[in-house]
Amino acid sequence: MGSWTTQNDARQRRLAAGGQFAQGKAVAVDKLTSFLEAVIHPGDRVCLEGDNQKQAQVLAQGLVGVDPQKVHDLHMVQSGIVLPEHLDLYERGIARKLDYSYSGPQSRRITTMLADGKIELGAVHTYLELFARYFIDLTPNIALIAAVCADKHGNLYTGPNTEDTPTIVEATAFKGGLVIAQVEKIVDSVPRVDIPGDRVHFVVETGKPFYVEPLFTRDPALITETQILCAMLAIKGIYAPYQVQRINHGIGFSTAAIELLLPTYGEALGLKGKICTHWALNPHPTLIPAIEAGWVQQIHSFGSEVGMENYMAARPDVYFTGADGSLRSNRAFCQTAGLYACDIFIGSTLQIDLQGNSSTVTATRTAGFGGAPNMGSDPHGRRHPSTPWLKAGEEANPDMAPALRRGRKLVVQIGETFGDKNTSLFVENLDAILLADKLKLELAPVMIYADDVTHIVTEEGIANLLLCRSSAEREQAIRGVAGYTELGRGRDAALVDQLRQRRVIQRPEDLGIDLLDADRRWLAARSVKDLMVASGGLYNPPSKFRNW
Amino acid sequence: MSDALRPITSWYESTARQRIAGLLDRGSFTEYIGPEQREMSPHLDLFDLPKQFDDGIVIGEGQLEGQRVYAAAQEGRFMGGAFGEVHGAKLIGLIRAARKHKRDVLISFDTGGVRLQEANAGEVSIAEIIRAILLARADGVRVIGLLGGRAGCYGGGGLIANCCSSLVISEQGRLSVSGPEVIETNHGVEEFDSKDRAFVWRTMGGKHRYLIGAVDAFVEDDIAAFRAAARTALAKQARFDLALVQAEQQRLATRLQRLGSLTDSLQIWKALGVEAPESISSLPTEAFLAASQTVRECADEAR
Repeated sequence: MGSWTTQNDARQRRLAAGGQFAQGKAVAVDKLTSFLEAVIHPGDRVCLEGDNQKQAQVLAQGLVGVDPQKVHDLHMVQSGIVLPEHLDLYERGIARKLDYSYSGPQSRRITTMLADGKIELGAVHTYLELFARYFIDLTPNIALIAAVCADKHGNLYTGPNTEDTPTIVEATAFKGGLVIAQVEKIVDSVPRVDIPGDRVHFVVETGKPFYVEPLFTRDPALITETQILCAMLAIKGIYAPYQVQRINHGIGFSTAAIELLLPTYGEALGLKGKICTHWALNPHPTLIPAIEAGWVQQIHSFGSEVGMENYMAARPDVYFTGADGSLRSNRAFCQTAGLYACDIFIGSTLQIDLQGNSSTVTATRTAGFGGAPNMGSDPHGRRHPSTPWLKAGEEANPDMAPALRRGRKLVVQIGETFGDKNTSLFVENLDAILLADKLKLELAPVMIYADDVTHIVTEEGIANLLLCRSSAEREQAIRGVAGYTELGRGRDAALVDQLRQRRVIQRPEDLGIDLLDADRRWLAARSVKDLMVASGGLYNPPSKFRNW
Repeated sequence: MSDALRPITSWYESTARQRIAGLLDRGSFTEYIGPEQREMSPHLDLFDLPKQFDDGIVIGEGQLEGQRVYAAAQEGRFMGGAFGEVHGAKLIGLIRAARKHKRDVLISFDTGGVRLQEANAGEVSIAEIIRAILLARADGVRVIGLLGGRAGCYGGGGLIANCCSSLVISEQGRLSVSGPEVIETNHGVEEFDSKDRAFVWRTMGGKHRYLIGAVDAFVEDDIAAFRAAARTALAKQARFDLALVQAEQQRLATRLQRLGSLTDSLQIWKALGVEAPESISSLPTEAFLAASQTVRECADEAR
């Protein structure tokens, strides 16, 4: 038997090689590429911190600059493929294999590169899945991460955008790997320690903040009356009867509409304090009016949102904040919270098939999954009861003995029957199947599987799939809310009528909702400026959202 | 309708019909060539595009504090409020009638310019509207432009607005000829980043237009505020003669000389003498008016 310390020995060699470019832990940015060539070995597994929001963009640029003769065949394991550099690594022959979660802005290019065989794909994961594999079979040798600032010991302050960093560092630093952080500044003392310095081996001072995009800001000015109608249906037809208090929202305009309707429509229905009190949610600016009106008790966040920093720091009763006063986010914990501690997930999608499978991919775009499949799935490891969970379980299995009956998480898909560019939300076959075929994937990238979906909400009404007793009923329930789309027009009118009698399908009028009532006047804020005003000037919207 | 709904008072949020209804005395408006007559675009069918019964503009007569006026409002939510053949013809007819009957006109602009699908007819109508306005003004009619709609006032709409006797704008209002996307497409993102909305508004928005004297009144985004400003504008002397046009030409030449080399509105505001230019965008209406009153340029009515 040989050595038991090969990994730690390798780290010592990397530390020695890298140390030649460093003063203490600090590596000058102009030596970055040579430094990376010295510490990264061919075939290494590398996590280049690309999260949903923040990006280690300077380290990404440095890595793209390395000599492919020296550094090649890297296996990238990172949640977000967001920057062009993330894919340039494959064009330049530096990286070969990829395991990832989400590729929003690069979804088209990554699809082309996968089809051309330029990237050897491991798998597309959900966030929790990828994080889990960091500790089992995808442990990084090198982590290239991003923080706001560091002290000379390497203690890191990540600020509100902590996101994936603790998870990546945990997996790398405790298993013989090397952790390299980019920071804007090296300071005497950090405002709070998000990552302890003994887990950080090198620090690169860049003089500029890490790249971050506001992904969760929805301009209320763009919310349509149809989306408001869908929001009214969800509040009155789902939130109220199930008494949903612990909740996760997707990032679409329909859910933004729900957030803006809570202090107006929700208030008029007498629901304040009864629903939507505890959240797993990014800091959506559209939730500000509900927070200010006293609807929200607490929110845990996956990441931060540009412009919301001061507002959150001023509302520590609502948000999780550190000793320095600013938000502490954590994607892995919040995903876990969304999976196990929330009773409902509600989000938009691009395509739903006749059994209720849904997907956001099209034949030319592989956006990946992110976290929605975690939120939008029924966790079989859940054991604690709650009113909505038990009620949904009872609807699904009325004949089962209550003490043995599993509850159900509410998983709601919400959207207009005709979406962007008048494309139908409802399709016979998901484009995900075409894409899987094209890329020779074993699994079609399905965002939410049919057996997890409990409700579909469109402007035509709510389909409660928990109450369907056969796949034929399920199909008609879905066709029944598909409106004038081709699949909607293909419904069996008599069966749909029966389903409506049984309240499997509920039309707006069945819920006492007047279509003429679906009006923008319900929106507690009708512009980004209204949101800023509602926050008492604490919310500081990014320039791209201002119309003043 | 639910009692919990408060009426919308925002001009920006309102439809063309809501604007007209709030602008004029309650119940005084009579529409001409209304949607029931289905006078629709003869061109859009060719492109398989949806039409609207009023072709995106409401015209008619009504009263403002008892004074009889003509009024028109573009609907920015139909094809960006763009001028098509019918749309343009309705406005031409209204202004010609104003000249004939010596009655003032209020126009709520909400337009991206000419409708590309009927560009020739749209361009001709822009020219005809300009001609009609200038003739009417020469005969003593006031034409008041109201700028605060979602689509802004661009293209030919910008040209027409600048022929009006008086312009009222809100912070949300935008007035220009080429729109942000057009400039970016033709001159590159370095020249004009159309996605930087704060930059767009600082360059074309209500506050900037008011400070450089491209418009005459700045009001809160509120229907009642537009109504009050329209009333004030109607009370002004109606004047349109050679001396006025020459004076405005002189003002613009001086402005170009003085500010032409500056590349951002913040520099222009500073050059005008605004004390804290960077704070202008975030000032509420009252404070903005106070900060701008002594330093802003004023347009002659020739515009």
